[in-house]
Amino acid sequence: MILPSIALYIHVPWCIKKCPYCDFNSHQADAGAGMDEAAYIDALIDDFKADAPMLQGRAISAVFIGGGTPSLFSDRGYARLFEALRANAAFDDHAEITMEANPGTAERRYLEGYREAGINRLSLGVQSLDETALRILGRIHGREEALSAFAHARSAGFDNINIDLMHGLPGQTVASAMDDLKTAEALGPEHLSWYQLTLEPNTAFYSRPPDLPDEDTLVDIQESGHRWLESVGYARYEISAYARGGRQSRHNLNYWTFGDYLGIGAGAHGKITHRGHDGELTVSRYWKTRQPEAYLRRRVDPRGFLAGQRTIDAEELPLEFLMNALRLVEGVPSSLWYERTGLSSEQLQAHLLPARQRGLLSSEGSRIQVNDKGLLFLNDVLALCDIA
Amino acid sequence: MTQDATRRDLSKIRNFSIIAHIDHGKSTLADRIIQVCGGLTDRELKEQVLDSMELERERGITIKAQSVTLDYHAKDGHIYQLNFIDTPGHVDFSYEVSRSLYACEGALLVVDAAQGVEAQSVANCYTAIEQNLEVLPVLNKMDLPQADPEKVAHEIEEIIGLDAHDAVQVSAKSGLNIDLLLERLVRDIPPPKGDREGPLQALIIDSWFDNYQGVVSLVRLFDGTLKKGDRMHMKSTGRDWEVNDIGFFTPKQTHTGILRAGEVGYVIAGIKDIHGAPVGDTITHTKTRDVARLPGFQKVKPQVYAGMFPVSSDDYEDFRDALEKLALNDASLDYVPENSDALGFGFRVGFLGTLHMEIIQERLEREYNIELLTTAPTVNYELAMDNGDITYISNPSKLPDMGNVNEMREPIVRATILVPQEFVGNVISECVNRRGNQLDMQVLGSQMQLVYELPMAEVVMDFFDRLKSISRGYASLDYSFERFEAAKLVRLDILINGDRVDALALIIHRDHAHSRGRILVEKMKELIPRQMFDVAVQAAIGGHVVARSTVKALRKNVTAKCYGGDVSRKKKLLEKQKQGKKRMKQVGQVEIPQEAFLAVLKVND
Repeated sequence: MILPSIALYIHVPWCIKKCPYCDFNSHQADAGAGMDEAAYIDALIDDFKADAPMLQGRAISAVFIGGGTPSLFSDRGYARLFEALRANAAFDDHAEITMEANPGTAERRYLEGYREAGINRLSLGVQSLDETALRILGRIHGREEALSAFAHARSAGFDNINIDLMHGLPGQTVASAMDDLKTAEALGPEHLSWYQLTLEPNTAFYSRPPDLPDEDTLVDIQESGHRWLESVGYARYEISAYARGGRQSRHNLNYWTFGDYLGIGAGAHGKITHRGHDGELTVSRYWKTRQPEAYLRRRVDPRGFLAGQRTIDAEELPLEFLMNALRLVEGVPSSLWYERTGLSSEQLQAHLLPARQRGLLSSEGSRIQVNDKGLLFLNDVLALCDIA
Repeated sequence: MTQDATRRDLSKIRNFSIIAHIDHGKSTLADRIIQVCGGLTDRELKEQVLDSMELERERGITIKAQSVTLDYHAKDGHIYQLNFIDTPGHVDFSYEVSRSLYACEGALLVVDAAQGVEAQSVANCYTAIEQNLEVLPVLNKMDLPQADPEKVAHEIEEIIGLDAHDAVQVSAKSGLNIDLLLERLVRDIPPPKGDREGPLQALIIDSWFDNYQGVVSLVRLFDGTLKKGDRMHMKSTGRDWEVNDIGFFTPKQTHTGILRAGEVGYVIAGIKDIHGAPVGDTITHTKTRDVARLPGFQKVKPQVYAGMFPVSSDDYEDFRDALEKLALNDASLDYVPENSDALGFGFRVGFLGTLHMEIIQERLEREYNIELLTTAPTVNYELAMDNGDITYISNPSKLPDMGNVNEMREPIVRATILVPQEFVGNVISECVNRRGNQLDMQVLGSQMQLVYELPMAEVVMDFFDRLKSISRGYASLDYSFERFEAAKLVRLDILINGDRVDALALIIHRDHAHSRGRILVEKMKELIPRQMFDVAVQAAIGGHVVARSTVKALRKNVTAKCYGGDVSRKKKLLEKQKQGKKRMKQVGQVEIPQEAFLAVLKVND
């Protein structure tokens, strides 16, 4: 029995300014959570060294540096980090290494250096190309900065760029959403994460909700945008992810195929599979200290960076697997169920039966996959799979 | 103190109740009296001691009779034993009132000096007068600037015919004149009569089941003396028991070892089943088993019926056990198994009224942790069959083939409504809408008294709430069953996506069927959440569709972005969705929320 592929997530918890829709672990760099790049890189290296045994000999297939705003750190910082990571673990020859960048901080002088440090994919948090929408979203950049950030990234040698773009924004119509989408497409990114704005608890938008388009408009935007994206060669492979030329996000695919991942940095989460001598499979999750200052202090703490961990018991495993796998348009091969969860195919069929009876799954017997309708009603599908 | 109390002779005992409308301040007054008599220290005196059930306290109402025995040091230098028997104030529980009154020689009629007399108090006051009780009018809330004692006293005289020129003016809230009230109580309410040496005759006013003590009975002794260790005889069951514990509530349960004629207190005799000590039964000694029975109480009959179904069929057994336990303390609760095509196995439960129904549902959910779906309440109909048989049905879906029914009869109530003149028009048109027939209308003080005959079905639904809302809260209501009367009734079926849902069927007057049907499907449309497909809601009479509406399908239900390694937030979202579905019942493919089953209660909004 083999273990799943493994990726690495690196969290950088600082931003210039917190956006009102964001519920990620991010902290304003000037608001007491003083950003100390060098100390944080040191901590990440220690954190990684402590986690490395969990690789269990596996080479890292993909890295994602998320935030916060990772582009607040210098190219030299990342060069030092990756040098240390490579000294402590094996990476696949063509490992995908993505960094999130805010168009407002993607400084031109750093971009080439990032590339040299080994970062080979850039994810630009553009969100919108409409000045009014950008203001409401609390972004620190305007339309022009977003466009030029993309151009700079290209000229710095990035040949694999994602653009994060939201739809369903306050005041948005089908026409203005399409304008955004077309402007982004004209830049020619290899990948588009085109996702609907949702109001998450513990955000400014949640407590003071903006005036969002009505439900019919939201669906119209999604349908028009989707049709158009496919017509210009972007294939949707996940609910909100589109890729051209097969440039899917390998790091995110690893999540959706229920792969393993290490998580280093403040508040980062990891998932690890272990196999006992008898082949018995155990899946556990762990997470690191969330507050940046507390995280930094853990360098000299015998507890290390870990904040908590738990084993996912057999009752939770099916839903966790399906919650990820069913987001993929093509689903996953049925054999992946046993490989990832160790559970029987009878159990799989029992979980899928209610959704199958409702006609929400694809007829492809060898795959775990929803059909078009199931993709639109994935929350209902998952509720039906939750038979416990 | 308590030993003293047990030595009081009959002339130093006063047994009384308080008759008051909800929010006229009965509980506050009761607490004041307890405080003045030192029944509890200030620290122990929580607000509204007598409403001990959590729900009673939350809703500010009394459901069950309770009693408290107090020592009052009167100005004449004597110590009097005051036995206060609490009475419920809501129209649903009026039968409990007559029980409480039976144990008393007098009653305080407490009226809000700012609001005036309400129908419920009038009805209870008449019951007291019929039982030869001395009724003492008390004007409460004198601390309010709007208090108008002259006007309200006049109203009492006019509506009830009770001399109120000398009524005590108190404020339970501030404590004003509570001493005066107690002096008046001792002066005017007669002491009980009885022969303490004679054969024992004790009336069971209430019985309840206590997990630690078994059945506890609240009793009033008319003759004789009952002591711990005595062999006692239950007249109705013919069984004998040994008294384990006897005493009274101060309001703490206080063991005295003895109760004597004229007193009110509790008896515990190792009885494990509430039916072993039925309310209204007479207790005597085994050695005097032939003593006559006291006139008991009429068995209360449920007025309203509803189907109750556990949301999860796994809860059925627990639900049955919970109903059994509740019925131990609630003789008015009636239930038989029911099987619904739509909702599965449950019970058809009879209640005194819709408030009683709400309370039972809340207690089942809160105390027994059972999620329930309740169908719309319905009354009991009388069916005269062609073959001469008379049957009763309280479940619309069980209505037999009308071909064999000669006549269908609905219960009619006589309703008395008191309302300030300015709202009379509203009340009359509401009564007309509900097929009311006016019997009487007269001016009483600053209020009007309207007497109507109304179909009970129209009254039990939301009539009381509706009356309140069309009279800015001033109207009050009392009603009682009169008779069954032939009526043109039909069954209105509700179809969801073409399938008749038995649990949604209603019995309704033919003249109202179309309009109610239309309002009902519109209400249902608002209450049924949008689903993956269109949901058609239809109202039909005998296969003929009279109204329809459609709940448009949702176009999508998917979480946009699910990034990152932290799965907890995704799981929370799914969990939230799951919780939202808990209160829904899957009928065919459609999820129907509890509110939709009760939509008929909202058609008059």
